[in-house]
Amino acid sequence: MSEAKKEKMNRRTLLLGVAGAAACGGRRLRLNVLNWSVYIPPEVLRQFERESGIHLRYSVYESNEEMLARVMSGNSGWDVVFPTHYYVQPMREMGLLARLDTRRLKHLDNLEASFSRPVWDSQLEWCIPYMWGATGILYNDRLAPAPTGWSDLWLDRYQGRFTMLDDPVEVFGAALKTLGRPWNGQSESDLRAAKVQALRQKPLLRAYMNAEVRDQVVSGDVAAAQLWATTAQQAIDAAPHLRFAYPKEGFGLYADNAAVLRESRRLDLALRFIDFLLRADVNASIVRGCRTATANGAARVLLGTELNALPTLYPAQETLARGEWMATPTVGLQRLRDRLWTELKSA
Amino acid sequence: MQPAVKQPGDQGAGDASQTANSGLRTLFLTPTAALLLALLGAPLAIVLAYTFRTRGTYGGVTAPWTLENWQRLADSLYAGILFNSFAVAAVSTAICLLLGFPLALFISRAGRRRGLYLHLVILPFWTSFLVRTYAWMFLLRDTGLINTVLFKLGLISQPLPLLYNYGAVLLGLVYTYLPFMVLPVYATLERMDRTLLEAAADLGARPLQVLWRVVLPLSKPGLWAGSILVFIPCLGAFLIPDLLGGGKTILVGTLVQNQFTASRDWPFGSALSMALMGVVLLLMLPLTRKSASL
Repeated sequence: MSEAKKEKMNRRTLLLGVAGAAACGGRRLRLNVLNWSVYIPPEVLRQFERESGIHLRYSVYESNEEMLARVMSGNSGWDVVFPTHYYVQPMREMGLLARLDTRRLKHLDNLEASFSRPVWDSQLEWCIPYMWGATGILYNDRLAPAPTGWSDLWLDRYQGRFTMLDDPVEVFGAALKTLGRPWNGQSESDLRAAKVQALRQKPLLRAYMNAEVRDQVVSGDVAAAQLWATTAQQAIDAAPHLRFAYPKEGFGLYADNAAVLRESRRLDLALRFIDFLLRADVNASIVRGCRTATANGAARVLLGTELNALPTLYPAQETLARGEWMATPTVGLQRLRDRLWTELKSA
Repeated sequence: MQPAVKQPGDQGAGDASQTANSGLRTLFLTPTAALLLALLGAPLAIVLAYTFRTRGTYGGVTAPWTLENWQRLADSLYAGILFNSFAVAAVSTAICLLLGFPLALFISRAGRRRGLYLHLVILPFWTSFLVRTYAWMFLLRDTGLINTVLFKLGLISQPLPLLYNYGAVLLGLVYTYLPFMVLPVYATLERMDRTLLEAAADLGARPLQVLWRVVLPLSKPGLWAGSILVFIPCLGAFLIPDLLGGGKTILVGTLVQNQFTASRDWPFGSALSMALMGVVLLLMLPLTRKSASL
């Protein structure tokens, strides 16, 4: 082999080496987390990276459907996701979730008693409750009289000044409550009655809107809005004259849970991440940063009096007793629900 | 009329150079054709295949093969939504025509300022479409700029309901797609042979007659192209109807989007979008032929 050729070889080896080193740098421990938007403050993510040496690839979604569409292939590259409780069972049935070895979670005891055996996963085999909330009514305190229940949103006294969520489950749920039926009513007669009731409300309301209604309640354009407690709290932070009502007829409750995808080859890192989120101090800083209601009892003890100032997120027990955990929509009636929703929208 | 818009060199020179040209043409077109086939044809084929599948319980598609998704299109509920969407798109296109033609005419006659005006037409594209739609919401809402100014001037005592109605949706569509009308119309007006206008004037036509009997017919290709460019995106729009219409109406764009998100009915969503595409193609076929021949 000639000198020149050898030198060339060496240079190539060197280049390969550089490329290899770069690849190694990229191969340091990494975890891919897909979460709801505004659900972990960035500094808490930095803290995890600092403490664990694990690099996080973090992205967000705005709806369960969006998350599901992204991970359904079973080859998405994500490790940890945060499905709402009524999506846990479907995702299990689709074979998307990995069984969790809870013995590896040192801080599991931090969970509040009511979340250590939740109805959607009583043994915590598939998911760990993270944050929860309710659907209620955010309103302006200048509104007289103040709304106390869903039926107030069916009266013409607020005509053109209130909004409902742009979601069949939420609108039909509230409609069913005004009819004295359960929020989760899912029989055909329930759904049809809910649609007729919603149709009566449609001429009165200003719009069907989701979280983006927040700014308009703050600015005073909208006087009352069907909204999630967490979003309502963000609005109240910006405008103290806003109030949140837990409707007297009852309301829907939801909980988002940390779960690991079956496709993940980083189960170990994923459990370390979930255990980190369960830590009382970490969980407390998440609540401070994102203004959500946590399923973590130890964090609540830490936050103590701070939380008492947030009745929107942490209502009294007797108020919560009126809530109903939202049920997984019955598969057979999904099409009827969609059709009734489309009929309502196009009417 | 033909020579006025024909480009020199369109006809090719001799036979020999034409064969050489066609070889070269194939060479140049192959990458684009391959790209289109792979990135447009293949996904379309998948969507078409989806229309014959059964919905998966939580999204996606499963066996068996079925015609049900196509049969559902005959449902009067969905036919009605499709009809409404066509009506909204047609009205938006008509307004764009009424506004776009005079504007394009004005710009084409603006002399040195033409460049400036054209830039102003294109300027909105520098900002995200979503941001611009939200800006309209800020203008139109009860505490928005328009209502505040009118109220301060004492012209109104109650805020005008400007947002969340049919008018707001039309406004949003016209605002967003007007440049797509102005630019092609401007292009044809720009290329128009001015001597024809002088000839018309010399022959005794008054300015309005020149406009109606010479300028308008000559700008037909631009008007057709602009109408197609406005009509099609208006038909599929879902963000503007949702944001400015307040979700109180449903157009076919939103309906398709719903099938892939909340309703988790991918096969029906696919059938809806294929049907929409088919109807648009059928409608556009004579139009594109016409504009090609003009």
